[in-house]
Amino acid sequence: MSLVADVSTPAGRPRKPPPSPALLIGLAVVLAITLWAGLSIEFTLAPLFTDLTRGKVIIDQFLRPEWDFLLRPAVAAAFLETLYIAILASLGGCILALLLAMLASKVSAPNTLVYRITRGVLSLVRSLPDVAYGLLFVAVLGTGALPGVLALIMFNIGVAAKLTGETIDSIDPGPVEAVEAAGGNRLQRARWAIFPQVAPNYLSYCFYVFELNIRASLVLGIVGAGGIGTLLYTLLARFEYSQVSAIVVLLFVVVFILDQLSRALRRRLS
Amino acid sequence: MVIEFDGVGVTYPNGVRGLDGVSLTIPDGQFVVVVGLSGAGKSTLVRTINGLVPVTAGRLTVNGHALNGARRRELRALRARIGMIFQSFNLVTRTSVMNNVLMGRLHATGTPRSLLGWYSAADKETAFDALERVGIVEKAWQRASTLSGGQQQRVAIARALAQKPEIMLADEPVASLDPPTASAVMSDLQRINRELGITTVVNLHFLDLARRFGDRIIGMRAGKVVFDGTGEEADDSVFEDIYGRSLTAEDVIAKEPGALA
Ligand SMILES: Nc1ncnc2c1ncn2[C@@H]1O[C@H](COP(=O)(O)OP(=O)(O)O)[C@@H](O)[C@H]1O
Ligand SMILES: [Mg+2]
Repeated sequence: MSLVADVSTPAGRPRKPPPSPALLIGLAVVLAITLWAGLSIEFTLAPLFTDLTRGKVIIDQFLRPEWDFLLRPAVAAAFLETLYIAILASLGGCILALLLAMLASKVSAPNTLVYRITRGVLSLVRSLPDVAYGLLFVAVLGTGALPGVLALIMFNIGVAAKLTGETIDSIDPGPVEAVEAAGGNRLQRARWAIFPQVAPNYLSYCFYVFELNIRASLVLGIVGAGGIGTLLYTLLARFEYSQVSAIVVLLFVVVFILDQLSRALRRRLS
Repeated sequence: MVIEFDGVGVTYPNGVRGLDGVSLTIPDGQFVVVVGLSGAGKSTLVRTINGLVPVTAGRLTVNGHALNGARRRELRALRARIGMIFQSFNLVTRTSVMNNVLMGRLHATGTPRSLLGWYSAADKETAFDALERVGIVEKAWQRASTLSGGQQQRVAIARALAQKPEIMLADEPVASLDPPTASAVMSDLQRINRELGITTVVNLHFLDLARRFGDRIIGMRAGKVVFDGTGEEADDSVFEDIYGRSLTAEDVIAKEPGALA
């Protein structure tokens, strides 16, 4: 009756091994770092309770959005500016990203040096967040839509060139070799052997970048790079919370619709 | 065009010897079949002819032009006159058959125009001609991915023909095809060789196809040429010598019994 000899581990079935010491140590380290970080910034949930009562007036205003405000021409203009910034930046960023992606993949780069340098430059570009580019261009060019567009272009290059470059890495090299064997030059190989293979993915990244841009241009507006973000910032500074909440609701709807459109398009591409 | 190998060697960057002291003269218009086991150096031999693999020893000339140390521009000019087809067809399957065939005209189209796909009317006519020659002109505007393997290989042949080449290289062109299609594609290559006088070098590993189609058979083993003669001279003992083993059913494409005489 060896079958019932050990109920917990039926015959021949290996027992589940205990968690590895490395895992336990890792968990302890994560916990310690979290505690340490929380203590260092004196993290406390207290304001949530004390300030919530103080902020009752503000919340009351927030809960009564001033819908009429949305009809003012300045609001439509600000929304349109955000849209234009996002479209221009997506176009500029994606075109530049395609060129850089061609240099950032071993498959299409003219040599290893160019490939290494481009990869380096791209990770440098990615290391700054969009807001940092916003601040940088606003400092250099003053406030307005132009610094917003430029900041987003830098941000888009970082995202789209990396994704497209990785897609190029994984293409079928056969057609590239075929065009090379037929006497085609490097640009012709990129155009006719590489681009058709990555086009659906590339377009999908462009729409994705556009989605990111709508959101990012909000934050950029707050640092003075134009659009709806700048309007929001002004209203907040004037304590016009009813108007702020009306805009936030509209913003939510607009971003949601644009996201869904862009996603539907991306789904059709893949 | 005449192809001349004179003591040609290829050592790959990782130190592997691809070719070792190969000396051959392939005259204009000949249909040459290269046979040998996998790893014997067949692909290397064919790829040195259009400079896809650089020669590291000896001297290789095509129509008097040396491939050793050729500049990129010279190499492109030479490649324009040499068509190549591949085991895996190497088509851009996402685009139309026509776009694939027109890739054979890229060498004759200025870069700005070619980036826009703005081919001349004469180039389009050449592409249609090439498709007619392989009998699939009715597929011109179909996506390449919708075609069968045999049809895709014909598109690849048309792409090479669109170059108006003087040499045709084929690296295991029928290895991915079923036996009847393989024979048909080999017949196409032979017909094109006869009609247009294009010097043709084909790698094969089926000895029956090699005997049937080759004016001349070159046997390779370990990077060296170990046989060079006609199809009649290449009997089973010659193939056993080239392969360094006795023949098996894998070595013929015709699966009926008695194919191995
Ligand atoms: N790109 C390469 N780098 C290094 N070694 C290679 C490369 N291509 C082929 N070889 C080696 O060269 C030898 C000949 O290969 P190949 O010409 O492809 O033979 P075949 O086409 O007859 O199968 C083999 O040992 C192969 O492993
Ligand atoms: Mg091979």
